[in-house]
Amino acid sequence: MASLLQPDRVLYLVHGEKKIRSSLSTLYFCRYCSELRSLECVSHEVDSHYCPSCLENMPSAEAKLKKNRCANCFDCPCCMHTLSTRATNIPAPLPDDPSKTAMKKAYYLACGFCRWTSRDVGMADKSVASGGWQEPDNPHTQRINKLIEYYQQLAQREKLERDRKKLARRRPYMPLAFSQHTIHVVEKYGLGTRLQRQRPGAPITSLAGLSLKEGEDQKEINIEPAQALDEVEPLPEDYYTRPINLPEVTSLRQRLLQPDFQPAGASQLHPKHKHLLIKRSLRCRKCEHNLSKPEFNPTSIKFKIQLVAVSYIPEVRIMSIPNLRFQKECQVLLTLTNPVESITHVTLVGCEEGDPEDINSTAKVMVPTKELVLAGKDAAADYDELAEPQDFQDDPDVVAFRKSNKIGFFIKVVPQREEDGDVTVSFKIRHDFRNLAAPIRPSEEDDAPTEAIWLTHHVELSLGPLVA
Amino acid sequence: FACPSAPGGANIAAGAVVCVESEIRGDVTIGPRTVVHPKARIIAEAGPIIIGEGNLIEEQALIINSYPENIMPDTEGVEPKTMTIGINNVFEVGCVSQALKIGDNNVIESKADLGKNVILTSGCIVGACCQVNTCEVIPENTVIYGSNCMRRVQTERPQPQTLQLDFLMKILPNYHHMKKTVKGTSTPVRN
Repeated sequence: MASLLQPDRVLYLVHGEKKIRSSLSTLYFCRYCSELRSLECVSHEVDSHYCPSCLENMPSAEAKLKKNRCANCFDCPCCMHTLSTRATNIPAPLPDDPSKTAMKKAYYLACGFCRWTSRDVGMADKSVASGGWQEPDNPHTQRINKLIEYYQQLAQREKLERDRKKLARRRPYMPLAFSQHTIHVVEKYGLGTRLQRQRPGAPITSLAGLSLKEGEDQKEINIEPAQALDEVEPLPEDYYTRPINLPEVTSLRQRLLQPDFQPAGASQLHPKHKHLLIKRSLRCRKCEHNLSKPEFNPTSIKFKIQLVAVSYIPEVRIMSIPNLRFQKECQVLLTLTNPVESITHVTLVGCEEGDPEDINSTAKVMVPTKELVLAGKDAAADYDELAEPQDFQDDPDVVAFRKSNKIGFFIKVVPQREEDGDVTVSFKIRHDFRNLAAPIRPSEEDDAPTEAIWLTHHVELSLGPLVA
Repeated sequence: FACPSAPGGANIAAGAVVCVESEIRGDVTIGPRTVVHPKARIIAEAGPIIIGEGNLIEEQALIINSYPENIMPDTEGVEPKTMTIGINNVFEVGCVSQALKIGDNNVIESKADLGKNVILTSGCIVGACCQVNTCEVIPENTVIYGSNCMRRVQTERPQPQTLQLDFLMKILPNYHHMKKTVKGTSTPVRN
C-alpha cells in the first residue's frame, strides 16, 4: 500500500520558535546543536543564479543588472513555455550580384507547446541565431529611473541622519550603534545588495563610510511631481457595439506577465527573457553553521554540505494497519530504519498525560518497553554473501522481522474517539547519536573516539480512519 | 475512375504506403502518398471512410466511423455517413478521431480525442491529450492546447510533412510488408 508511505503520515516535531510538525524527509538536522531544524527555523541565502533552460550560471551582480533574466532564452508570451529558435531558408539577393538570389538562413522563435511564433506579432526574422532578439522598450523607463535615483538618494540621506543620531548618543557603546531599523531603511529602495546580518563583535564598516560622505558634495536630484490630468481620452464610439474577437483578447495571466505594457490584444504580446532561478543555501540560526549548500554548477544536483535529517535520525514508517475499531486494541506494524553506520539503540516512550506536545493524538498507544537495537547501515551488505547474520535476541512479540538496518515492530493502538477523522497516535523516540562532527579532544584515557548523546524526538503517526 | 475494390474492402491507391500490421476494416479509401504506420487502426463501421493524399497516420492512431451512441448496429433506416479526411493531415501517435469531416493540413497531436460532432477545417492543430467533443466547426488555423484546451489562432497553417513522408515511404518498405495497392488506371492498356 503506497499510501502508507506518504510523507505526511509520520510527522516529527521540531522545537523552534514555532512548533512545527513535518515529515522527516523535509527536515534538516544541525549536528552542532544536535537538534532538528525545519525550513522555517533556518535562514535562506541565495547561493547562485542560473537559467533553467540554458543552465548558464550568472554572478549576482550581473543578475541584478539584467533584472534576473537570462540573456539568451525567451519565454512564450502565450503559454510561458521556453521558446526555441527555428531556421528557414529564404531566397535573398546576393550583395554582390542583385540579380541572383541565394538561399539565406532566417531565424524565428517558435513555441513547441502552443505553436506561437515570433511572426505572429510581426517580429521580423533575424539573420543571427541568437542575440538578435530585443525586447521592446518601455516608454516610461526614463521617468522611472529618475524616480528611483531620487528615492535612493533620499533613503541614503535618511540613513545617514539616523546613524549620526545614534552615534552621537551611544559613543561608548560602539558595536550596537546600528539598529535593525537602520538596515531596513538601507534596503528600502534597493541600495544594499545583500542583507548584512549583524554579527556580535563584527567590525563596523559603515562608520568609515560616514566620515567620507560628510565631506562629499552630493549631486542634488530634483524630480517633477506627477501631473494630474483633467481630461481623459474618450472611449471609441463602437466600444459597446463591436463584436469581441475572443482569440485576440489576452488572458489576465498573459497580460500581467508583461507589467510594462499589459497589452489587451494578443498581437502585441512580445516574448520576454526567461526568469532566472536561484540555488539557495540554508543556515542554522543558532549556531550559524550551514545545513545545506548546493554545488555551484547548475548542471549538478549534488550538495557540498547536506545535513538532512534522514541521514542522522532513525525513521519510523508505517508498514501495515489492521482494521481500526473504536475502543478495541489493534496491532499496528511499524518499521524503524537506522541511517548511520554504527549500531543504534532506540527506546520508545509513550506520551504522558498532560504532555504539552501531545495535542493531536486520538488514540492510546502501547509501545514496546524494551530497548530496540538497530544494526548499522552497511553499504556492502547486499554483495557480501559470506557475512554472518548478526545475532540479536529479538522478542517475537515485539520485533516482527529484522533486515540489515531495519526492524519491524508492533505497537498496540486503542482508538479513543469515535469521530470521523483519522486515528492519530504519538510517542517519543529516544536514540543515541554519535556526533562525528565535534572536534576530537585529545583525551588521556583511551576512550571511545566519540561519545554518544541521547536525543528524544516526538513522533506523530496518522493511521487512517476507523472501520465501522 | 472506378477501381475494383481490393479484398477486405480497403481501396488503397497506388503510391500509398500502408503497413500490413495496420488494421483496416470496412470500406476505406486511401489516397496516394499517404503513409499508414503499423498498429494504426482505421475502422469504418457505420459508413465508409475516404482519406485523401499526403496524410500521415502514425502508430496506435484510431480513425473510426462509429455508430452514434444510442443507435444499435442493426437498426434499419440508418443511413451510412461518410467520413472524409482531406490532404496533408497528420494523426500523431495514439490519437483518436471520430470527426466526420476533417479538412487539409491539420495536425492531431498524440493522444488527442476528437468527438463525433466536431468538424475540423484547415490548418487546425489539436494539442496533445486535448479532448474536443463539442458540436462545432473549428475555425481555420486554430490551435487547441493546454490542459484546459485553450485556444488561439495562429497566422500560418502548419507545413505539410513532405520530408517525413518521403523518408517514410523509402524506409518503411525495408522493414515491413505492405498491403497491396490497387493498380492505377492512369495508363490505359493498349490492345
